[in-house]
Amino acid sequence: MAEMSLIWLRIATVLYSVGLLHAILTLVRGREQMFRPALGAFGLAAVFHFVSIVERGIASGRCPIGTTFETLSMCAFLVSALFLFIHWRYRAEGLSAFIFPLVFMMALVGSLAGPVGEWSSPEVRNAWLTAHIAMVMLGYAALVFTAAAALLYLAQERDLKRKKQRTLPFRLPPLATLDELISKSMALGFAFITLAIVLGTVWAFVELKTAWLADPKILISFATWGIYLAMVFFRVTAGWRGRKAALLVVVALGCSAVTWVAHARLGSGTPAP
Amino acid sequence: MTLLVTGLSHKTAPVALRERLAFPETGQAEALRDLKARGASEALILSTCNRVEVVVTAEEGTDPRGIVTAFLSEQRGVPPWEIEPHLYRYENREAIHHIFRVAASLDSMIVGEPQILGQIKAAYCLARSQGALSGWLESVLTRAFSVAKRVRSETGIGQMAVSVSYAAVELARKIFGSLEASRILLAGAGKMSELAAMHLRRSGGSHVYVANRTFERAVEMAKAFRGAPVEWERLHAVLPEVDILIASTASQEYILGKSDFERVMAARKNRPVFVIDIAVPRNIDPAVNEIEGVFLYDIDDLQQVVETNLRERRKEAERAEMMVAAEVDRALARLRVQQVAPTIVSLQEQLEQIRAAEMERMRRKYGPLTPAQEQAWEALTRGIVNKIAHGPISQLRAHAGRPEEAHVIETIRKVFQLEP
Repeated sequence: MAEMSLIWLRIATVLYSVGLLHAILTLVRGREQMFRPALGAFGLAAVFHFVSIVERGIASGRCPIGTTFETLSMCAFLVSALFLFIHWRYRAEGLSAFIFPLVFMMALVGSLAGPVGEWSSPEVRNAWLTAHIAMVMLGYAALVFTAAAALLYLAQERDLKRKKQRTLPFRLPPLATLDELISKSMALGFAFITLAIVLGTVWAFVELKTAWLADPKILISFATWGIYLAMVFFRVTAGWRGRKAALLVVVALGCSAVTWVAHARLGSGTPAP
Repeated sequence: MTLLVTGLSHKTAPVALRERLAFPETGQAEALRDLKARGASEALILSTCNRVEVVVTAEEGTDPRGIVTAFLSEQRGVPPWEIEPHLYRYENREAIHHIFRVAASLDSMIVGEPQILGQIKAAYCLARSQGALSGWLESVLTRAFSVAKRVRSETGIGQMAVSVSYAAVELARKIFGSLEASRILLAGAGKMSELAAMHLRRSGGSHVYVANRTFERAVEMAKAFRGAPVEWERLHAVLPEVDILIASTASQEYILGKSDFERVMAARKNRPVFVIDIAVPRNIDPAVNEIEGVFLYDIDDLQQVVETNLRERRKEAERAEMMVAAEVDRALARLRVQQVAPTIVSLQEQLEQIRAAEMERMRRKYGPLTPAQEQAWEALTRGIVNKIAHGPISQLRAHAGRPEEAHVIETIRKVFQLEP
C-alpha cells in the first residue's frame, strides 16, 4: 500500500505546482494572478496529500514520520493545512507567493521516496541532464542580470537621496525602469531555478535511489533555492526595494556561486542545480 | 556677394528698445518685400523677444549696411542715432559664424534653450514663401539647421533643466521614468507649486489632486488642472495613492512628519514617492528624506540642481563652440565652390557646344562614319576639350572665396565669351 500513498502524494504535488505557477506569474506581472484557481488546486492537493499520509500510516502501522521523506511530506501537509486555515480566517493571499512554492517543493521531495527503475536509455538520461544544466544556466544569467539592475538602482537611489549628480559616462535609467527590470529578471530567474531544481531532484532520485537526499550538494542547492524563494517573497509581499532588495540579490548570487563551486568540487556525476 | 547680419539682442540692447524694433508677425512679409526693393538679393528677418536681426546678401557694388540701417529705422520709426549704439554687424565669415551660434542656441539668454531654432525655422519658411531666399543665404540657413541639430545631439547642451520647475520634472523622470501613470497632489495653492504642477502635468502626470485649507480655492485650482479637489482633512488619506507631492502651504509648522511617511510607505509597499517642498518655512520635516523610497527636495535643493546644470551647460557650450567653428570652415569651403560653380558649368557647356558643332561639320564633310571612326573622333575631341577646360577650372577653384575671385571669374568669362 506504500506505493499507493506515493501515487496520491504525486497527484498532490502536480496540483501544488499550480500554486507555483501562480507565484511566478504574480511576480512577473507585479500583481495577483490566478489566485483563485491556484487556491482551488491547493485545497484539492491538500486532500490528496491527507489521503496519502493516512494510507502511509495505515500501511506502516505507525505515525508516518519515520524517514526524512515522510517527515517532509508531513511537514508540507501541516504547512498547507495551516495556510488554508489562516486564509479562511484572515484572507492571507499575500502569503501564497511564499507558501505555494515551498509546499510544492517539500511535497516533491517527499514524493520521491520509493526507488524507481533505471533510465529507459542513456539518451533520456543525457537529455534530462542537459535540460537541467540549461535551466541552471538561464537561472544564473537572470540572477546576474537582477544583481546588476539592483546595483544600478542603488546608485540612482543614492544620487537622488544625496541630491548630487555624478558625472557618469552614461545616464542611469529611472528607478521605475530598474525596478521593473529587477522584478522581471528575478521572476524569470526564479522560474528557471525552480525548474532546474525539479529536474535535478528527479534526476538524482533516479540516479542515486533514495540515498540522494543525503548528498550535501543537493542540500546546498535546496538552501540556495530557499534564499531565492525568500527574496521573491519579500519582494512580492513587503515590496522590498533598494538596499534591502539589493542585499538579498547579492546574498542569493553568493549562495548560487557556492552551490556551483560545491557541485564542481563534490561533483560525482550530479550537476549543479 | 556680401552676407551681412545686422541686429541687436538681449546682450546689447535694453528691452525698451528691443520691443520698439520687434517686427510683428503680420508685417514681416511686407518688410521682406521692402528689403528686396531696397536692393538686397536675399533677406531674412528674425524677431524674437530677445533679439531682432536682419540678414541680407547683396551684390558687389551695393551698400548692404546702408540699406539695412535705413530699413530698420524707417520700418520701425526709430531714429538711426538711437539704434546705432546697440547694433552689431557681422559680415561673411563672421556672419555665418553668428548665424550658426544663434541657431545652436549658444547666443541665447539661457544657453541651450530649444525655442530659438524653431523661431529661425519659422523666419526661414516665411522668407522662402516670399521669394526672399534664392541661394547663398538659403544654403547658409539650411546648414545652420543641421549644425544646430548636431550640437544638440552631440553635446549635452539642452539636456539639463535650468529652471526650478523643470528641475522638478527632470527629477520626477529619474524616479518614475515616464510620468504617465503618476498621480500628483498639490498641498497648498501657491504660484510656484502651480507652475511645477503644470510642468508635471504637461510631461504626462495622469491625475492631479489639490488640497487646500480653503476648499473653494482647491476647487478653483483643481478645475485649472482638470483634477480633483480634496478636503484638507483627507490629506493623509489620499497620500498613499500619490506619487508626487508638491507642498507649498503658508503653514508655520511642518504639516507632515517622518511617522506620517512611514505609514504612507507601508501602505504603498515601498513604491517610491517624490516630495517637493517649495514652501518657506518648509512644510515637510527634512527627516522624511531618511525613509527609504522617499525623495524629499526643498527649494534650495532644486535651486542647487539648477545651478549644477547651468555649470554643466556652460561646459557643454564650450564644446559646442568648437564644433560650430569647425562647421563654419566647412560651410565656407562649400560656399566658395558654390560661388564659382555657375562659371564652371557655363564654361563646360560652351566648350561642349563648340565640340558638338565641329563634330557635326566633320560628319557632313566626310560622309557617314563607321562606328569605330565615330568612337575615335568622340574620344579625340573630348580629350582636347577637357584639357583646355582643366586650366581655367582649376584657376577658378583655387581663387574661390579670395578677394581676387571676382576678377578671375570676369577674366575667364571674357576670354571664353561666356554669357553673363
